[in-house]
Amino acid sequence: MDLLWTISTILLLCSLLSILWKGFDRRRNRSCYLLDFVCYKPSDDRKLSSELCSDIIVRNKRLSVPDYKFLLKVVVNSGISEDTYGPRSIIEGREECPTHDDCVDEVDDCMYRTLDELFLRTSISPIDVDVLVVNVSMFAPSPSLTSRIVNRYRMREDVKNFSLAGMGCSASPIAIDLVNNIFKTRKRTLAVVVTSESIAPNWYYGTDKSMMLGNCLFRSGGCSFMLTNDPSLKHRAKMSLKCLVRAHIGANDDAYSCAIQKEDDEGRVGFHLSKSLPKAAVRAFAENLQRLAPKVLPVGELALYVLRGFRHWLWRSKEAKTDAATAAMVNFKSGVDHFCLHTGGAAVIDAVGRALGLTKYDVEPARMTLHRWGNTSASSLWYVLGYMEAKKRLRRKDRVLMLSFGAGFKCNSCLWEVLRDLNDGGAWEDCIRAYPPQTLVNPFMEKFGWVKEA
Amino acid sequence: MRAVPLPRFLSSVELAYLNVVNHLLAFPIIPVMVAVLLQVLELGPDELIAHWSSLGIDTIHALCTIFTVVVVATAYFMSRPRPVYLVDHACFRPPRTFRVPFATFFEHASLVPFFDEKSVRFQVRILESSGLGEETCLPLANRYIPPCPSMEAACAEARLVIFSAIDELIAKTDLKPRDVDILVVNCSLFSPTPSLSAMIVNKYKMRSNIMSFNLSGMGCSAGLISIDLARSLLQAHPNSYALVVSTEIITPNFYAGNERSMLLPNCLFRMGAAAVLLSNSRREEDRAKYRLLHVVRTHEGADDRAYRCVYEEEDGEGNSGINLSKEMMTVAGEALRANITAVGPLVLPVTEQLRFLASLVARRLLGARGGKPYIPDFKRAFDHLCIHAGGRAVIDELQRSLGLPAALVEASRMTLHRFGNTSSSSLWYELAYIEAKSRMRRGDRVWMIGFGSGFKCNSAVWRCLRAPKAPVDGPWSDCIHRYPVHVPEMVKLL
Repeated sequence: MDLLWTISTILLLCSLLSILWKGFDRRRNRSCYLLDFVCYKPSDDRKLSSELCSDIIVRNKRLSVPDYKFLLKVVVNSGISEDTYGPRSIIEGREECPTHDDCVDEVDDCMYRTLDELFLRTSISPIDVDVLVVNVSMFAPSPSLTSRIVNRYRMREDVKNFSLAGMGCSASPIAIDLVNNIFKTRKRTLAVVVTSESIAPNWYYGTDKSMMLGNCLFRSGGCSFMLTNDPSLKHRAKMSLKCLVRAHIGANDDAYSCAIQKEDDEGRVGFHLSKSLPKAAVRAFAENLQRLAPKVLPVGELALYVLRGFRHWLWRSKEAKTDAATAAMVNFKSGVDHFCLHTGGAAVIDAVGRALGLTKYDVEPARMTLHRWGNTSASSLWYVLGYMEAKKRLRRKDRVLMLSFGAGFKCNSCLWEVLRDLNDGGAWEDCIRAYPPQTLVNPFMEKFGWVKEA
Repeated sequence: MRAVPLPRFLSSVELAYLNVVNHLLAFPIIPVMVAVLLQVLELGPDELIAHWSSLGIDTIHALCTIFTVVVVATAYFMSRPRPVYLVDHACFRPPRTFRVPFATFFEHASLVPFFDEKSVRFQVRILESSGLGEETCLPLANRYIPPCPSMEAACAEARLVIFSAIDELIAKTDLKPRDVDILVVNCSLFSPTPSLSAMIVNKYKMRSNIMSFNLSGMGCSAGLISIDLARSLLQAHPNSYALVVSTEIITPNFYAGNERSMLLPNCLFRMGAAAVLLSNSRREEDRAKYRLLHVVRTHEGADDRAYRCVYEEEDGEGNSGINLSKEMMTVAGEALRANITAVGPLVLPVTEQLRFLASLVARRLLGARGGKPYIPDFKRAFDHLCIHAGGRAVIDELQRSLGLPAALVEASRMTLHRFGNTSSSSLWYELAYIEAKSRMRRGDRVWMIGFGSGFKCNSAVWRCLRAPKAPVDGPWSDCIHRYPVHVPEMVKLL
């Protein structure tokens, strides 16, 4: 009888301990660590020089001289250098009729090159990957891009794969959000995310000006990164995710239709960017910041913000809320050390920089990324991060804010904390020493600067 | 066609061992506690009190111990993931004007300039033995001569099918769009920017902090992938509502060439959409129809043959289409085997699992003298089955290899007949059929199996919490009285 009591007491205690351990273990798996990221560097024969750009523009015989001037103006003012990359089908003159293979090859090259290097650098085998997410907004073949990767790398049968499409330039934080949510439900999970954009099938060859901007600004690029919630891999991780905020103002009709893929009057499909895009961007931005600020700013700054707002209301200042005034209300730099801004265009970067009260030093990574790589859509944030890392700006305990905008209209942001001093060159390895360049005189400006006066 | 061999249960040894190890603590506890209970019952109440007093525990300590145990147990049970409920589901009901009887299909195929005579005859032969009926629907753009698959037409079809399904779901559940926290949309062959999920957010004025995801290119089994994603999101966010929309937009996918393996989708794919409301809120326990028990996903993409069996490519003339390989049945069978191997330990009754384990141990110890390997009977684990209505061949093959009675595959066959292959939403039409026939009872278990490009085989297991009251409003309301129909092997047209 006594023995029985003893045994049952011991078993009960063991059960209690295991319950406690399970509860504690569950809390441990809330983290999301970035093990590594690899940005895509296409081969040099895909560089779009100013000469090549003008040839491509002129190839479209439907355009008139004012249209050429408009396009060249956009290109001249874009802040993009001669080192950005385009898809092979466009360079080889097949922009109006790319084959399915052209489109697939473009994405394959990006995915496989970056993944090969990612697996090599992390010394992790593809068979250990539990979750695979791919986001390419404007190309979704069957089988999906995730299936292409599963096939190529012979991944496991039970790999959870998700192929996101149509989610625009702000899809990187969306993919991270998806993975982060899965991490909350599974222990010791390893996730690989590939983000890129497909340009070959989306070249616009009509005459609608609002749809030609995409042709001028978008460039080839992509990134693969590896995330995990396994605490035993923390010592190898580069950064840890602190918070993520998604704002979707698609409920507003103007915001929804300000960046939309549709047909022009002649039935050609293009990506329409309307004049109300900046307004939608500001609204989405404000929506995002409203929710982001309490999570990111230190308590002191938040208290000051409340006080300033109260004082502003009290004195009922008649001045319009200028960017400087808004910036003065909240100082984001008190909670964030580095800013990865989506390289939507020079105007976008400058506007966001002003709104957040950032200096030239803060927006330099974004401006330089735009210069070197162009607008690579969802993967642009990673090139900006790569610049900061190559410049050895990222030190332990630094906080990095990624901020992006995209069709929908969405503004998504995520805050990372750097876990150790980072100094990989990555895709910037061979050119970081040349940045920032002595002058930002645009080669397009030199050649086509006459359009400004014409 | 050679029969698909039954699942390789010997390879699920790892899973069996895993189950045992996971519940290691339970194995000794139960017999010990039973023994203790028996001992306690043998003693009389006076002896019990004497034993208790002799232990020298005063009331305070006893109360503290009990309190700690209760607190820890409560904390543990409160923090366990909430069950995921299916509040309700709704399907798109195509208006009669969209229907394409065989004669219309044949006439259209003959009049469009792309097809040569051989291709027309081939398509008609496929249609004759496809198991499709005369009421399946195609979008208007595909009915033009020649078809005009513009982006505008594709968006119009998307708006029609998706919004109809969601409107019906809202009417059934009193859902307020602003209460939706999670939105997952899957459409394989059409993904505009902004996505279809953004289109839904715009139409229904959903909140700005909605977690929306748009899956594309994931094939006919994407409906269950969306359910899996919604489940993961719900587990991370208690007290939430998830709207899952599954559809396939037919307009942009008309194949205008003469390659036979690429003509099949023209013949089989039809309009359809489904909207499903999931929740893990305690409020929904009272009215939810089903509870999600398991979702198991299997991806055979590592095998080249499986990967290539449903493949989008261009034919020799540059026409884009989906190539369905001749090995699709074999590949589907293998994918199903792999999936069943994972599903088995989760759903089979304990007796079946123990019998299987005993047979396994016997064979390991005694070799061939241990007897034949025991194959668990899956019919005992499920009351209803929804197999993706990919085509008659798929349903026939599955019926044969799993040894299923005709009653279990009736929902799939009738859905294929009435609605055609609606891709990822077909499973929901099948569930609606079972409900419309008043066959669903409380406690019934439903097994949904989807196949798709990749090659993937995904399963979901649901338990019915509340049988829908007849008459059931749904896509079958106007025609359920005619079903089931006998679907002949061949319907001669020419």
